[in-house]
Amino acid sequence: MSETDFLETHLQELRRGTVVLACLRLLAEPGYGYGLLEQLQERGFDTDANTLYPLLRRLEKQGHLTSEWNTDEARPRKFYRTSAAGRRLAASLTDDFQAIAAALAALPAED
Amino acid sequence: MTTTLTDRYIDAVVRTVPEDQRGDVGAELRASVADQIDARIEQGEEPGAAERAVLLALGDPDKLAADYIGRQLYLIGPRYYLEWWRLVKLLLWIVVPLGAFGIALGQSLAGAGLGAIIGSTVGGAISIAVHLFFWTALVFALIERAESAGTARGTLQPWSLERLPPENPYSGARFVDMIVNVVFLLIAAAALVWDQLVGAVYLDGRWISLLDPTLWPWWIGGLLLVMAIDAVLNVIVYLNGRWTVPLAAFNAILDIVVAVPAIWLLSQDRLLNREFWFAVIPAADAEKVYTILSLLTGFSIAGIAIWSSIDAFLKARRAR
Repeated sequence: MSETDFLETHLQELRRGTVVLACLRLLAEPGYGYGLLEQLQERGFDTDANTLYPLLRRLEKQGHLTSEWNTDEARPRKFYRTSAAGRRLAASLTDDFQAIAAALAALPAED
Repeated sequence: MTTTLTDRYIDAVVRTVPEDQRGDVGAELRASVADQIDARIEQGEEPGAAERAVLLALGDPDKLAADYIGRQLYLIGPRYYLEWWRLVKLLLWIVVPLGAFGIALGQSLAGAGLGAIIGSTVGGAISIAVHLFFWTALVFALIERAESAGTARGTLQPWSLERLPPENPYSGARFVDMIVNVVFLLIAAAALVWDQLVGAVYLDGRWISLLDPTLWPWWIGGLLLVMAIDAVLNVIVYLNGRWTVPLAAFNAILDIVVAVPAIWLLSQDRLLNREFWFAVIPAADAEKVYTILSLLTGFSIAGIAIWSSIDAFLKARRAR
């Protein structure tokens, strides 16, 4: 494994939970698969389509998202929205993330 | 209507999704793929190329389907791997040697040639090992799936401090081990000498020996010498406090020095005292029983020698 491979693996592990948090927060406003993918990318959450789509389904199964089919437009889309349980989860994750960020900031300086 | 690449891709995904979720997963994926293709076309890509690029990025449909429904893509995951591996090692140690020994004994009793005996023993041992791997893996794969369907978590048997390897594993080098071995060797030596000089059994008004009387003095003398060396080895192991690999290797050499000539003598019908055994076995079956008896003796000698050698190496390894 080269250095960039190691970096890639570690970055992946570091980011793993952040996509879940971003989805839960963004879906306070209803959103659908591809729309959410674009939003995530615009906001700097580098996510692959084949990670996001199954993730939405799993979160729905866990009750953190609710879904509804919108058939008003020519292309029917499944819209997701964060549930009450999802909002509580998002709050806990946000708190924890901030605690981690604070702990990181308090680590000895790099130089 | 022609079938597009997208249709084929979605079919491939939903094929492995449970029936009741198929329509939903398929429809959602179709909309998402169409959105992604449109976005690429808007940026000036050619439609065919855009479709290919989107589907290629989504990757192996079976993998995507597994992600959708949370199906694990391994036989035995990290949760059960160690439990499985411990069980396999234990079973391999117990079942394979016993099975191989049984096959070899059975083949010999059935009168098979040496080549056939070795062939079926090796073949049998390999097949037993393969079966052990297969069936344990199957059972654990099923447990893995049964559990992920339910809610239970954790290993079969939670690990606890009591399961740490013992601090002082049985070393086989204690004073009592040495004494027991030396006393046993002395008794055996006395029995051998008695058997050869007087005869072990009083039969039909005279003493008669179990082992061939022509073994005296050179063969028995050699055996007594090796037994004396073995007694010294036991004392050395005791003084050393533990078995080491060189000591275990020396022990293995002693085992070979005893077992190989003994089995060779047996094969030449020069180990057991034919006269004695024919006197105690009813005449009609004497030849057959004597053959079986010789075989059993040979296998016992080989079994004891192999076990003694392995045991010493195991003790040496544990003592490291």
